[in-house]
Amino acid sequence: MIRLENVTKSYSTEVVAVRDASFDVAKGEFVFLVGPSGSGKSTLLRMLNRQDRPERGAVWVAGRNIVDMPPGRVPHLRRNIGNIFQDYKLLLEKSVFENVAFAQEVIGRPSHVINQQVPAVLELVGLAGKEDRLPHQLSGGEQQRVSIARAFVNRPLILLADEPTGNLDPGTGEGIMRLLDRINKTGTTVVMATHDQRIVNTMRKRVIQLDRGVIVRDQARGVYE
Amino acid sequence: MWSRVRYTLRETFDSFRRNATLTVAAIITAAISLLGVGLTLLSQHAFDNLLSRWEGGVEMIVFMRPTTTPDQFDLVERVLGEQTEFIESFTFCDATCSLAEADRVLAGEPGVRDLLDESNITTQFKAVPTEGTDIDLLRQLSTAFEELPSVYEVKFAEDQISLISQLQSFFGFRLLLLSGFLLFAAVLLIWNTIRTAIFARRREIEVMKLVGATDWFIRIPFMLEGLLHGIIGGAVASVGLWAWNSQWTSGVKEFPANSGFAALVVVDGYDQTVMLIMVVIGALAGAIGSGIAASRFLDI
Repeated sequence: MIRLENVTKSYSTEVVAVRDASFDVAKGEFVFLVGPSGSGKSTLLRMLNRQDRPERGAVWVAGRNIVDMPPGRVPHLRRNIGNIFQDYKLLLEKSVFENVAFAQEVIGRPSHVINQQVPAVLELVGLAGKEDRLPHQLSGGEQQRVSIARAFVNRPLILLADEPTGNLDPGTGEGIMRLLDRINKTGTTVVMATHDQRIVNTMRKRVIQLDRGVIVRDQARGVYE
Repeated sequence: MWSRVRYTLRETFDSFRRNATLTVAAIITAAISLLGVGLTLLSQHAFDNLLSRWEGGVEMIVFMRPTTTPDQFDLVERVLGEQTEFIESFTFCDATCSLAEADRVLAGEPGVRDLLDESNITTQFKAVPTEGTDIDLLRQLSTAFEELPSVYEVKFAEDQISLISQLQSFFGFRLLLLSGFLLFAAVLLIWNTIRTAIFARRREIEVMKLVGATDWFIRIPFMLEGLLHGIIGGAVASVGLWAWNSQWTSGVKEFPANSGFAALVVVDGYDQTVMLIMVVIGALAGAIGSGIAASRFLDI
């Protein structure tokens, strides 16, 4: 589903965010990217949805090298990739329903599809009955669930999560991880960048560890270290 | 399709609401500049009415009495035809032609126009001099014509239109220049309004991009917003132009009769054409301003 071949990305001559990174992620796999701040986890995720482009190497997503993909094709790539962020990136003036529906509206889904799929995904993430609430009327965990619902409502092949539990207490974080695990079990590939040692050690999924942009460990059913 | 249209309209009007102050400023600026353009076009047309009888390089007009006999017409026609050294050509404007001209020249004095018909209107011989001809030669000829009983009067463009022509070109050019500057300011203001709207919605745009919205899908509500700024500005300017023209048309009656101001009234529907032109220019200005902003500032 994902393949990186000798990918290097730098932001200046001194700052190399990712250096010569190569790995494969199979369809339906759950992968943690771990490492200290500035190790290149977020840059890797940004390259997977073409927010950033590497100077060298190839990034294959769903069978296509996206490095040289024409800009006009990028939106179609992103329709197959869901994104979850530490700060949720919810639209504060829109209700829970509208936030999730927004992801379908902007790709031109008809309203009868939206009215059918949004309640279903809100049910899946445990937010049924809270459709009309605004983000500020929700807890942090609930806001992250809205963000997950928005990322998953278009049934993407891949879910990219950048520190999704970073702003949450451990109990709430565990709930989010259970949700991501459920989504992963539907066949969606999940790549998650995290600092959260406890979560990584509990989940026992594949772990790719980065240090100053270099992959230093790639371990199946790994732990944080 | 319908959901996209609904989405676009909703986002456009939401943006209007959020950016109300800047939106109003952009619309007012667009309206003022377009009103300037409209007034320029209208005033040029009004001057053209006044000068219409002198179109095509006509320098001398011999007005014939309505009672002129065919022999008397032949005499004037023959004399004009013989002056080939200094008259390049001449035309005859019969009663129908003269009445049509009166429609324009007496537009502001409908009472006077109503008194004219084919039986009492003066017909005209219009003479175009050869290039470089001394007008004094024509004036000498006119003295001879004025002695004929069939000739009502002889008029010269030089006496009638030089001041008006100067005024027309002076005001026309400067009004158009001023309108051009104001229009440029309107485009800049629309551009800035759209840029601000994009900045205010940068979070939404980021999310839209991440979930796979195309650039055009994101751009269209902003472009529509700018387009509406221009169209509304054009519509407001049209109302202003209509009010101005109405005031002028009713006010021109107060000027002295035969002062020439009666001709500076536009009653032939040209004002509606100008209104349409203003709305189209407004739409273009809005589309250009917002199009540039939406293309340039989308990468946020």
